[in-house]
Amino acid sequence: MTAMGSSQLTPLQRIELEAVAAAVQAQFGSGISVERGSRGVALAIRLNEANVLAALSKALFWDIGCSFGGLIVEELSDRWRLSYLFLASGSGWIEVVLEVPAAVQAVPSISAEVHAADWFERETEDLFGLRFEGHPRLGDFILHDQIWPEGVAPHRKPQRRSVNVHQMHFRRRPNPDWRPLLVVQDPGSFAMPVGPVYEGGIGESLHFMLETVGEDVLRAVPRLFYKFRAVEKIAEGQQVSDVLLLAERFAATSSFAHSLAFSLAVERICALEVPKRAANLRVLLAELERLRHHAGAITGICESTALAVAASQAAIIEERLLRASCEFAGHRYLFGLNTPGGLRRDFVSRDFENLTGAVDRAVEDLHVLEDRLHFTSSFLDRLEDVGVVDPSKARDLNLVGPVGRASGRGHDLRRECPYGGYDGYTFETPREAEGDGYARLRVLFQEGYASAGLIHQAVERMEPGPVAAPCDSFVAGAALGWAEAPIGSALHWIRLDGSGVVERYRAITASFNNWLGFHAAVEDFAFQDFPIILATFGLSATECDR
Amino acid sequence: MIDPWIGGALALFFILCACGVVLTAATRGVYPLRALLVFSSACSVLMMFASAAALASGHSFAIDLWSLEGWGRFSIRLDMLSAIFLFAAGLVYLPASLFVRNLVEVRFRGRYPMRRYGVLHFALMASVVLILVANDAPLFLISWECMSVLCYFLVNYEQSARTDIRAGYIMLVMSEAGFLAALVAFLILGRGTPDWSFSSLAGMAQHLSGSAVWGVFLLGFLGFGVKAGLVPVNFWLPRSYTAAPAVFVPVFAGVTLNLGFYGILRLDAQLMSNHSVGTGLFALVTGSITALVGILYATTENDLKKMLAHSSIENAGIIVAAVGASLVFHASGHAVAAAIALTAALYHMVNHSVYKTLLFQGVGEVEAATGTREMDRLGGLARLLPGLSVVFLVGCLSISAIPPFNGFVSEWLTLQCLLRSAVLLSSAVKVLFALCGACLALTAALAVTCFVKVYAMSFLGIRRGDWRHGPGQAGRTQFPLAYLAVACLLLGILPTYVIPVLNRAVEPLAGASAAASLVPPFFSATPENQQLPPAFVDDFHNLGAQTGRHVLPGRGLVVLVRGSEKNPVVFAMSTSYSFVALAIFLLVTWFVATRGSRQRSVTRHELWAGGIPRLLPEMTYTATGFSNPVRVVFQAIFRPNIVEDSRETVAVHFRTAILRRRDETHFVDRLLFHPVGEAVGWLARLLAGMHHGRLNAYVAYTLAFLLIILVLFRLS
Amino acid sequence: MSFWFWHGLKKGVRSTHYPREFESAAGVSPGRPVATEFDSAAEAVVAAANCPADAIVARGSAAEVKLERCIYCQHCHYGNSHLLEWHSDYEWTMAVPGRGKYQPLPTAYHRSLHVIVVDAGDCGACLHEVKQLNNPLYNMHRLGIFLTATPRAADVLLVVGPVSENMRVPLLKTYEAMPAPKRILAVGACAINGGVFGRTFMSAGGVASVLPVDLLVPGDPPPPLAILHGLLAVTGRKSPVLQAASSEGNS
Ligand code: SF4
Repeated sequence: MTAMGSSQLTPLQRIELEAVAAAVQAQFGSGISVERGSRGVALAIRLNEANVLAALSKALFWDIGCSFGGLIVEELSDRWRLSYLFLASGSGWIEVVLEVPAAVQAVPSISAEVHAADWFERETEDLFGLRFEGHPRLGDFILHDQIWPEGVAPHRKPQRRSVNVHQMHFRRRPNPDWRPLLVVQDPGSFAMPVGPVYEGGIGESLHFMLETVGEDVLRAVPRLFYKFRAVEKIAEGQQVSDVLLLAERFAATSSFAHSLAFSLAVERICALEVPKRAANLRVLLAELERLRHHAGAITGICESTALAVAASQAAIIEERLLRASCEFAGHRYLFGLNTPGGLRRDFVSRDFENLTGAVDRAVEDLHVLEDRLHFTSSFLDRLEDVGVVDPSKARDLNLVGPVGRASGRGHDLRRECPYGGYDGYTFETPREAEGDGYARLRVLFQEGYASAGLIHQAVERMEPGPVAAPCDSFVAGAALGWAEAPIGSALHWIRLDGSGVVERYRAITASFNNWLGFHAAVEDFAFQDFPIILATFGLSATECDR
Repeated sequence: MIDPWIGGALALFFILCACGVVLTAATRGVYPLRALLVFSSACSVLMMFASAAALASGHSFAIDLWSLEGWGRFSIRLDMLSAIFLFAAGLVYLPASLFVRNLVEVRFRGRYPMRRYGVLHFALMASVVLILVANDAPLFLISWECMSVLCYFLVNYEQSARTDIRAGYIMLVMSEAGFLAALVAFLILGRGTPDWSFSSLAGMAQHLSGSAVWGVFLLGFLGFGVKAGLVPVNFWLPRSYTAAPAVFVPVFAGVTLNLGFYGILRLDAQLMSNHSVGTGLFALVTGSITALVGILYATTENDLKKMLAHSSIENAGIIVAAVGASLVFHASGHAVAAAIALTAALYHMVNHSVYKTLLFQGVGEVEAATGTREMDRLGGLARLLPGLSVVFLVGCLSISAIPPFNGFVSEWLTLQCLLRSAVLLSSAVKVLFALCGACLALTAALAVTCFVKVYAMSFLGIRRGDWRHGPGQAGRTQFPLAYLAVACLLLGILPTYVIPVLNRAVEPLAGASAAASLVPPFFSATPENQQLPPAFVDDFHNLGAQTGRHVLPGRGLVVLVRGSEKNPVVFAMSTSYSFVALAIFLLVTWFVATRGSRQRSVTRHELWAGGIPRLLPEMTYTATGFSNPVRVVFQAIFRPNIVEDSRETVAVHFRTAILRRRDETHFVDRLLFHPVGEAVGWLARLLAGMHHGRLNAYVAYTLAFLLIILVLFRLS
Repeated sequence: MSFWFWHGLKKGVRSTHYPREFESAAGVSPGRPVATEFDSAAEAVVAAANCPADAIVARGSAAEVKLERCIYCQHCHYGNSHLLEWHSDYEWTMAVPGRGKYQPLPTAYHRSLHVIVVDAGDCGACLHEVKQLNNPLYNMHRLGIFLTATPRAADVLLVVGPVSENMRVPLLKTYEAMPAPKRILAVGACAINGGVFGRTFMSAGGVASVLPVDLLVPGDPPPPLAILHGLLAVTGRKSPVLQAASSEGNS
């Protein structure tokens, strides 16, 4: 089945930056100026006029074949700076920069062309009050309209510069007339509310409206951002070291990847050279986190199909990995390890031995589990053809991470845009074409094995030396850092002033990206499949909400 | 000595009907309505009185009206079967008459020209009674035809929409077709008869050949089955029930439906006592299918009135299935079993009249208060109409056969009868009985689903639609509904008193007494109770039954005996005891909960809805959603066509609308009505010359046809 | 399928014997920093200044730890000078200062405690650790502690996260929907005082600012056994061991 699936996959193609530059210049001429990017960005395209934005995005995404990375909005002193990130596979990030005067209140929307930009634009509108012309569904996104009146833009710079985030205050006004936007118009249809306090034990705070006429769910609309804590706003005005704590703690299940991406960005700004040993250790820890995360995701899938024994065994594997992480690094979720310049501590070879022993054992157990699951038809029946996202839809919605890879996407930043010492490592990035729940499960297992392989390689490559370059002085500037978190790509954009104070912090997460894909892709399913679809997507609300 | 009373009551009934017609037609203002209320209630009381007198005395009342030389006699006779139907009719005519006032005062003020309505109302009443007491075919058939035409006028009374007129028209056509079938059945039966009285027809029936028996049976069964709402001749029913005005539907469901059973029983069970097992099986299978199809469509229906119409079909199916079982038992010589089955059928008939009238009136009230009958838009009515919600709940519990209400008793008896098929010899018949039993059991289960949905979606929860609040209930009498609710309860907890009365009608038909077997004086173990081996009775006593011997009324149990001396098994149930137990249990619970030793404070909180700020009406189950699993499971029957499946988006991918509209053609329509309709259309084009497009002409055709056939037969 | 049952049986009992015995497997807990004596008061001040969460206070030459504020940044664990001693235990449930002595739930709850978990904006770690209590290695069912899906059946409200603004109403509604007697357990640094998120327009800065918290389980995240200890303390089967510092919050 895997072989059959693979045959349908289109091979991944490298996109050359020169070709991109030539193509867009030919098409848009004086509307844009193309220049070499810096600090994490490979190519910067500046827009001279706003109205080519949509066409340019379309050309980059659809004609040239880049994937969409996200939107970074900055409110500079006199102007808005909007930077749309596109990933040229194998070559790096392309930044499309639109700068408009501060007085401007609306910019063109690209959501009709690049669907993946939908939520980014809604987010910006809610938090900055910047409208996107042509976007049909702005508002009621992060600031729920039940609580928040229109016109609140909490991420704008406060009028008085001295006000910090702890003193900011916004008017709230409970709105009893709020109505959900329901689109199913079948006679007798209704929306079944699920959450935010879950009716099924432990779950993150999410709220779903399952639009249905009974039995079949025609559309599932997630209402997220119950957990929105304004991480990006809190970071503003804080020292890098404090923001690092925040970056590490807003999404703990991939905390190492986020602190890594953050550190990489700071290292780019300050031009720090990370020692070899630190780079290898980072690979090791990031892959340990991935392995543990995937074991947890597999547990979730087994639980969702009510296969209790398998769920228990997967949970044991996960807990063992948590314990191994704690034994190795002092923290079960790998907090407090990354720092700009490298790692905060070193390890001795005994540590590595213990760790690889634990990892090997976990892989062995995972193999046994996978074999058994493969022969449990009742389990497979519930996963196969459930929550299908076909490759074209996955491309359309720009799915990233294991979910994207199960739908034929080749998006893996470790390979497409190597960072932090991954070059020189050999590993497989599994891809599947079916895009159903089972494909996602297979991808999780394969990636788990690949991570174990990477851990071994990292241990083998470990060479003595310092684990951190000293980072004592900061330079002003902005840079992009990225990492392939277990759930998918994580992008952190930081602008620092000269004293190491963060002026703008932007975290773009895979969950944010994939939640949009989730609800657009999943239509028309049986109600009892809902937990399974949710589990196979394995998305995190906290990572999305920030 | 009872005769003068009965005769007097009947005479007075007709006189009052005539007065009612005159007064409603001749007066103005509030008087037509008052005349209607007073005279109609008086008439219904008289109906009950006459029939109760006959039933109590066990004495049939008969009188010749006049005899026309060469045409036979017109005579009336109130025998036990008639009396039961007459009593049921009176039972529901009383609240139905009073109910007119509620609706007229609230919603339909000015919309009902009461004068015309009154005339039709009394005329229908008189024709119903005439049908029930007619003792000869001509009077019976003429009254029947009058009843059909009057029903047509009443259904079309509001004439608000084209579909309603069409519904009335379909009904009339079907009634006429049924009438003609019945007519032909009588003609075959009475060929060469000296007169057309029922007694001589019954004599003629003995000489019919086997195929003629089948012919008469089928013609009568399908002909009368039209009124009873049997598959496959019931497609008019939901349409016209929905179209009929709210004041008339209760009569429609509670009275005229029963006339169908009356016709079937009169012709197929009484007049022709020599049928085969086959005819009974036919009735049984038809009834079971009718019941299942009826409840399936009722469960998935969203319109309250239409849902009740489909549920009437279901109940008709149950009744006819019981009748069929009775015929099979009768034909195979199991008189007692036949008697029990027939008792069940009659019991269910009475019950259905009562609770269906209650429910239809309740729906009328709901519609008057909210302006809608769509369950998807209702919800939360319990807060708006607290009184109604209680009686409606009684109706729902009764129709879902929940003890201690009446539906339980009759459905229990019906199902038990089918289980008694073990006494039958042929295994093929046994299998058929088992299948029909399963069918009816499924029906009963779906009925619970259906009425849980009805009650929960309309009365509980939160209000979903944007309907206006109707006028309150201040000053409006709840008497009709409360009366019916009490009747539901009494019929439910006193089966041991009802069954002997029904038995009076059953005994002559089945040739055995059901009461002796169903309601044995069990605790006294007198010689009357010979069917039970004495040792077994002792055993039963030892099991604890004797504890109640001196306290409980001995006639609390309904017993279905099965088994032999070796294997004495008793199926028994007592709704009266369980009612008492339930009441005690509730009282004790209430006492413990409120006066219990420890003081507990009860705090009330909002509904828990996962922590969302407010549960909106859009987020609660709709009736359609609730019943959708049934629709999915029985897809083979519903065969929905997806007529529209659209997904609209703006800006390429923002969904703005998902719409999937399903269209369902009713099972019977699909299989029968539409093909036949096409054939008839083809025929009609051939006969286009006869079409005037005027209804009166068609009615005239029918009457002319009737006369011609009578003359022809007379001459032959 | 049936063989799963067999595979499950073959594994045998894996559950910890806590609370009967102390669980000492490696990695069950990251441990905690404890008060440490330094050579001089100045050194203690340096140690205190190392802590980004103000969880270390210098008192004389000793550096004392307010564990409820610790966000496990590990700065006092390695990578710095002036490190603190760390204990590798996990029984550190705290009573809330200023609320008097904690009143445990009556003994009737000892073997039947129903917990509803509300995620009020946590980072996923605390929630994940609570979830681990369900896995066979901890198996809190054996202690009669159950997670329930509805607050109507819950005795304990276990809150993780700093109470984000959008979760404030759901959290309050959950608490209201619970029958008395009920207890609130704030799990994790964020639930105690907002942690790294503090008190902002989008975060209430801990559960205590919206609801009367009964017990605190410090840690970022507290390991499963620490949470289990907290749940046992709710019914009085264990007692809160540490006393939180009396000044609440850090806004
Ligand atoms: S771990 Fe970090 S937060 Fe906790 S006491 Fe040490 S320095 Fe302070």
